[in-house]
Amino acid sequence: MKISQLFKLPFIIIGVLIFISSCDYSPEKVKFKRYRVAGERLFEQHCANCHQKNGEGLRGLYPPLAGSDYLKNEFEKSICIIKNGTNDTLTVNGKVYNLPMPSIDLGNIEVAEIVTFVYNSWGNEKGLIDVKEIESLLKSCE
Amino acid sequence: MIRSVIALALVTLFFYECKPTIKKELPLPKLGRFEIVKNGDGVDTVFHQIEDFKFVDQDSNWVTNETFSKGIYIADFFFTTCPDICPKMKAQMLRVYDSIGSEPSLMFLSHTIDPKHDSVAVLKDFSERLGVDGAKWKFVTGDKEVIYKLGQTSYMASIADQGAAGLTHSGRFFLIDKNRHIRGAYNGTDAEEVNVMIGDIKKLLNEN
Repeated sequence: MKISQLFKLPFIIIGVLIFISSCDYSPEKVKFKRYRVAGERLFEQHCANCHQKNGEGLRGLYPPLAGSDYLKNEFEKSICIIKNGTNDTLTVNGKVYNLPMPSIDLGNIEVAEIVTFVYNSWGNEKGLIDVKEIESLLKSCE
Repeated sequence: MIRSVIALALVTLFFYECKPTIKKELPLPKLGRFEIVKNGDGVDTVFHQIEDFKFVDQDSNWVTNETFSKGIYIADFFFTTCPDICPKMKAQMLRVYDSIGSEPSLMFLSHTIDPKHDSVAVLKDFSERLGVDGAKWKFVTGDKEVIYKLGQTSYMASIADQGAAGLTHSGRFFLIDKNRHIRGAYNGTDAEEVNVMIGDIKKLLNEN
């Protein structure tokens, strides 16, 4: 082996190690990605009409989800609203919104996927919200 | 020598054909049924027109055909609590409003198809929340039957009250000229078609 080849060896080893470590196939992460991808599709189908694809809402009509203090502070209520809709007025980032949000026929798993997407987009990083957690939270909805 | 002359002639001919042709832009069509009527010795074509209407806007002002007679307008049908296509339409219409809404001879007319809920006050709140100028963009309400009939016969829009299944309506934007003719109809939920409409509006503004 030539000296120059010997010199390259550590780089090759480090490169291989980085490559291996980037393939993180832990079941949790796979589940999270699966939820988020499905959630994005459902979001575009059911939510983006009003809240827009970028989550910014529409003027004073539909509240933003991106940078929303309501989502941050009212996690349980937000999940109930996603599942059941609401006719209440909501205050988001200091603005009052009064249009009704319809309830759509979503299964709990779909709610979990949407919640995972919304809570991990536009700067939100809440991680995976499992369907089991959603099920127990939904029991306490009014 | 002769061969090179012929070759030169052919090349010249070839490039001559390539000269840019100035396409004459056709005016926008007038949509709907039309009739051919006798006029003296010749004939005239009578195009479909928007019938007379009289509604109330978000500021409690009367809105009639006269309101729009000095320019052109875009019309659509919606209701404030509509969850599916209306928000998409409103987002697109807002894009039109923001891009060329400042044109003085362009106006917007949104008819509610749910006058029972969408009172003047509700429409006022809606337009304020949308943040648009009430003199420019009219949100109108009136007698339900009249609105539905106008939508169906003048704009040829499909609107229906399906009772428990809710209200359904066309997602189209209609481009109307100062003579009440429909000059274009576009899918108001499709950004591409709305881009075409923006182009057509500019065309129609130049026509006037």
